[in-house]
Amino acid sequence: MHVGSGFRAIALASAGMFVVAACGTSSSAGVSMAPNDKQIFRVNDGTEPNSYDPGQETYTYEAAVGRNVFQPLLTPKADLTDVQPAAAKSYDVSSDGLTYTFHLQPNGKWSDGKPVTGADFVYGWQRLLNPALAAGYVDPFFDGTVAGAQNYGSIDPANTSAVDSFIQGLGLSAPDATTFVVKLQHPAAYFKWVATLWVAAPIRKDVVEQAAGGSFASTDATKAEMWANSANTVIGNGPFKISEIVSKDHVTLVPNTNYWGGTAHLQQVILKFIADGNTAFSQYQTGALDQINVPVADVTVVRGDAVLSKQAHLLPELTVFWMTYNTKRAPLDNADVRMALSKAIDRDKLVNDVEHGTDKAIASFFPRGMNGYDNSDNAQSFDPAAAKALLQKAGITVDQLSKLKLMTRNTTNSKTLNTFIADQWNTNLGTNIQLDVIDSKTVTRNIRKGQFDIYGPDGWGADYPDQQDWADIFTSTACHGLNFGCPTLTGYDDIVQKADTETDQAQRNKDYATAQKILIDQAAVGFIFQQYEYDLWKPNVQITNTPFDDEYVPGDQNYNSAYISA
Amino acid sequence: MAVIEGRPRRGALLPWFGALSGTRGGALAIFVGRRILWMIPIVFFVIVITFFLMHQAAGSPWDRTGGRQLSQSVIDNLNAKYGLDKPEWQQFLIYVWDVIHFDFGLSYQYEGKSVTSLLGEGWRYTAVIGGLAFLLIVPVGVGLGVLAALRQNTRVDYATMGFATIAASFPNFVVGVLMVVVLSVTMYKLTGGSFFLPSSDFALDDHLIMPVITLSLLPIAYTARLTRASTLDTIRQDYVRTAWAKGLSERLVVIKHILKNSLIPVVTTLGPTFAFLVTGSVIVETVFNIPGIGRAFVVAVESRDYPMILGTTVLFSVVIAVANLIVDVAYVFIDPRVRLT
Repeated sequence: MHVGSGFRAIALASAGMFVVAACGTSSSAGVSMAPNDKQIFRVNDGTEPNSYDPGQETYTYEAAVGRNVFQPLLTPKADLTDVQPAAAKSYDVSSDGLTYTFHLQPNGKWSDGKPVTGADFVYGWQRLLNPALAAGYVDPFFDGTVAGAQNYGSIDPANTSAVDSFIQGLGLSAPDATTFVVKLQHPAAYFKWVATLWVAAPIRKDVVEQAAGGSFASTDATKAEMWANSANTVIGNGPFKISEIVSKDHVTLVPNTNYWGGTAHLQQVILKFIADGNTAFSQYQTGALDQINVPVADVTVVRGDAVLSKQAHLLPELTVFWMTYNTKRAPLDNADVRMALSKAIDRDKLVNDVEHGTDKAIASFFPRGMNGYDNSDNAQSFDPAAAKALLQKAGITVDQLSKLKLMTRNTTNSKTLNTFIADQWNTNLGTNIQLDVIDSKTVTRNIRKGQFDIYGPDGWGADYPDQQDWADIFTSTACHGLNFGCPTLTGYDDIVQKADTETDQAQRNKDYATAQKILIDQAAVGFIFQQYEYDLWKPNVQITNTPFDDEYVPGDQNYNSAYISA
Repeated sequence: MAVIEGRPRRGALLPWFGALSGTRGGALAIFVGRRILWMIPIVFFVIVITFFLMHQAAGSPWDRTGGRQLSQSVIDNLNAKYGLDKPEWQQFLIYVWDVIHFDFGLSYQYEGKSVTSLLGEGWRYTAVIGGLAFLLIVPVGVGLGVLAALRQNTRVDYATMGFATIAASFPNFVVGVLMVVVLSVTMYKLTGGSFFLPSSDFALDDHLIMPVITLSLLPIAYTARLTRASTLDTIRQDYVRTAWAKGLSERLVVIKHILKNSLIPVVTTLGPTFAFLVTGSVIVETVFNIPGIGRAFVVAVESRDYPMILGTTVLFSVVIAVANLIVDVAYVFIDPRVRLT
């Protein structure tokens, strides 16, 4: 279905690992299905979505609804090695890598029965890139991808003619009813992953305008969103449709009988909005929920319970945490000092003692389960003797290090983790590094302004499983925006820029591997652990999972194949 | 406000009501009217303080707690969309102008939903739970207090006051969680069915039992202790001794001579109690996952949803002002000596 060289071999090792982790969950043949009236799945979504307009959804608890009600052009394969057809049955890439032509499913239909057309995608993407609508998750679409969108940040969102000409100038077109064409700013092999994002959904212009009471100016953000709050007007092209929205309590999804891929097994998916993890846990225990994410505090309770421990699943997430060193402040401008700190943390002890073994230690950048995972470079691995030697080599005294403060968010999780990490440094290096506990909002402001010595745990969750999504974080242009320590890394920007515009997958993998080696060896940050999800679900829930950063709703991409067994 | 003895002064703010002041009902009408007008400056200063404190607090509505922060161009667009790109004093004037027209703005958290509609969805949960708690507090609290006082230094007294002390020292989030664990989770494990399942498809039925008890426990304890002290004070008054000496029945002495007089300090605290129910709803609604305005307020503060924070604060302040007004009016009916000005 796609042009360009295959790259499956590279990802085999990591994919295998994921399959092992998730094998208990795959729906195997031979399990019989419960009758239709039992096909009800109740899951905690955590927080109520801001909007049911997929373009306005930025959090995982919002995407959990958006991914099921709307369908983007492509979707990741379960093992995350490549993309597979979704609303588009296939796509072609021009030989210069600049034009992507998507051929839509010939029988793709909206939940009201009308056909999904290329024009619906043009409209959906134009809305996403409309500065007046201020979509939160728009960056992957203007940042180095869609042609004409590079000026996104300089358009005055109140100026109708400026917004109109910007939207009309975007490289989006629908030459016929079943074709959608995107022109890019420069070759970007990762664009197929961008096309899998839930925000890249088609939207029906007639539905939006009807709810707004007629056509409206492109800068009228209020009218543009009037359709998105009612179950009647949220018409999608995904396997499910919204049947009921009970604000602050739950949203109910039912199968979209017009879905091109066949009707889903689950007759109702009820996503509850329970913010407090302990409340959700007690509801799971009393049978009111079928699936939850276990709060860290309750992990030992689950492990000690004969029934619950059998319903527990540990799933990898594509999320890595690290300690961020402010490289603009001495002595952290010295890579040897950063490396010494990174080598003085016993990560295995951390995940076992603090996280109850629900996360896994990592001393590299790209997470397990994704293209590019490679833990062979052990430069940052735990080695207190080598760490001390590095400090001596750098000529930095223990007293100098002891002046550093570890900035910590005022949350139980952050305080526990950082207390452990500071203790590791103070024990293994003989320093006296103290925590600086500040409220969460102030921490966010400080890191954006570079006002800290060391900050953690800082991290990244994949938007899509391609190295580009990760490697771009540490480029110098992303300083204070996506990375907060602002390290100056020799050769890093060049190799990442080369890899981002490279179309040959084997060469990309090689270049990103080089980029990762630079991050590890120059101790851009100190990599600590990969996040895993510790979930509970009832034995009759048959669901497959993908290791995406979905802390609230595991397996949210696969509700159309999920079912309740008898 | 309450002045004992003397004639009421003419309402300076409402001279045209002067004709009314000759009668007791007329004085009451003036008093109520004036207090309602006073709410306008009160609400205004609540808005002033909340508005500037809120903007002073670190962080912006567009901060992300983790992962990808919004890019600057997106933040600029969001600021323009919600008028946050203007100077603060301008934003303030625009907000006040809108409030005068009963427009409390659009919430940042819920795309395209107005603060008024969000509060409209939530208020009935908060009102029902607060109202039921209030109905529970007065009879139970007063009853326990009077009982303890009449049986002073007996086992009844010790048990009642022991309960009150324990109830007063447990914060309501502890009580709430304990009740969920014991009544819901443990009962489910033991019997396969559970009592009062917390907030699964929250409805106005037996789900209310646990939140109402949680919310009312502390005020009950407080009311009981206050009633006991006040009743003990009344029992020693000469008129009570006279009543006993006249040979009146215990029932008559307690209800007519003791209870009525010992209730005045209790009524005084009902205003603050009502305020406690409103603010207590913040915690109780979070623990029991009730979609009322208390929880909406917590979420709004956490996510710096400025219009929602202001809207909720204004609503809370109006409710508390009205509650205090009702208490002041209630004096008139309890204590004939009280005159309102």
